[in-house]
Amino acid sequence: MRSYFYESPDSFGKLFEILEDNSIEMKFLAGGSDFVPRLSLEREKIHKENQKDSMIINLSDLGLNYIVENDTEVIIGATTTFAEIEKNDIIKGEFPALIKAINEIAGFSVRNIATIGGNIMNASPAADSVPVLMVLEAEFVLRGPDGSRNIEAKEFFTGPGKTVAKENEVLTHIIIRKNKGKSAFNKLGRRKAETLSVVNAAAYVEKENNICKAVRVAIGSVAPTVLRCEEVEELLLGKELTEENIRVASEKVVDAISPIDDIRASAWYRKKVAPVIVRRAIEAAIVD
Amino acid sequence: MSEILSFYLNGNPVEVLVKPEQTLLELLRDELGLTSPKCGCNHGDCGACTVILDGKAVKSCLVLAPTVKGKKVVTADGLCSGEKLHPIQQAFLDYGAPQCGYCTPGMVMAATAFLLENPKPTKEEIKEALSGNLCRCAGYEKYTEAVLAVSKGEFGLLPEGSDFNV
Repeated sequence: MRSYFYESPDSFGKLFEILEDNSIEMKFLAGGSDFVPRLSLEREKIHKENQKDSMIINLSDLGLNYIVENDTEVIIGATTTFAEIEKNDIIKGEFPALIKAINEIAGFSVRNIATIGGNIMNASPAADSVPVLMVLEAEFVLRGPDGSRNIEAKEFFTGPGKTVAKENEVLTHIIIRKNKGKSAFNKLGRRKAETLSVVNAAAYVEKENNICKAVRVAIGSVAPTVLRCEEVEELLLGKELTEENIRVASEKVVDAISPIDDIRASAWYRKKVAPVIVRRAIEAAIVD
Repeated sequence: MSEILSFYLNGNPVEVLVKPEQTLLELLRDELGLTSPKCGCNHGDCGACTVILDGKAVKSCLVLAPTVKGKKVVTADGLCSGEKLHPIQQAFLDYGAPQCGYCTPGMVMAATAFLLENPKPTKEEIKEALSGNLCRCAGYEKYTEAVLAVSKGEFGLLPEGSDFNV
């Protein structure tokens, strides 16, 4: 059985020093709501021979728990919990769709520890915060030993559980530009509460005299990563925001997605329901 | 590689040997002998292991034990003062909310933490607050009514300070 080690560095210098050891597998811990059950499962099952030892690195002491704003942006530290974001007045004012999405993530005792950075780095195709971050064109900032780099949300995910982050890079914060349009989030789960998404979607719309001036749509849980649906966006841009136009554009999401059967729903059902969830998200984003 | 971990448990400072991979639930049950947090699912679905960590309800199977260093943990054991039960505990008893009782300590902690934050909730808000705690006997209605009764003061004032602000 592999041995486990634990460190909780309070500076990036110490963090990168720990990461230099190649003999041990490095694992980052944020809130733990996904990490810890996965670890428990690993400990319960039959152990592989010759597995590298595991170093658990707690990121909570790196000072990444904050929400700040300037004239044009809001910046959320990666280890800020969902409960803290939900209650934050800046977020309530600027990005109500993010609050809506967070409200639908698990229950309050999970949101008390789960972090936005963990939700992102976990890279689940069903992550509820990600579609909203994608339509808000959020940037994710990764910090490694050689410095920081900013990556757009839509370029960040490469597969289920996979991101562009290198093994020695940590997500430090999320930058969201303030905007003049309105965004919304819609989720279909198997139950009302404490449930993972069958399909989730977010939309961002700027309109003038009911003409669509800018639109961004993202959908989750129907492909290896959360997707931006450019097919839908192209069809809606410049058009009048009528019920019919929105419905027709939403149908286009079927061309973008590649759902699978899993314990929550079948691929067939997801294809049927995806346009509906996208339509509802867009409709919620155009309500005055 | 075990290390000594210090934190506050039900108002008292404790020092205990902890393994890096242990959960807070394992630490409480197996090392400290407090079996009120129950292990139902061990992956954050059922809420039977709910405890209050620095004033907030958390599922202790989702918390890595070493991360509670210096923090305050309260379990259902720490809610009563001597023989006198916490209003939530008394209300659950009087309303006959616990059936098999397995989910009860988790319900107690979730409800207590919730009322600290939202002392005058609606019934809907209570249901939402307890949505992370599953009850196999489906005693939800009685749990909800009991919490509502506590919020209306029927079981006396909620104790302030004490264990939550060690």
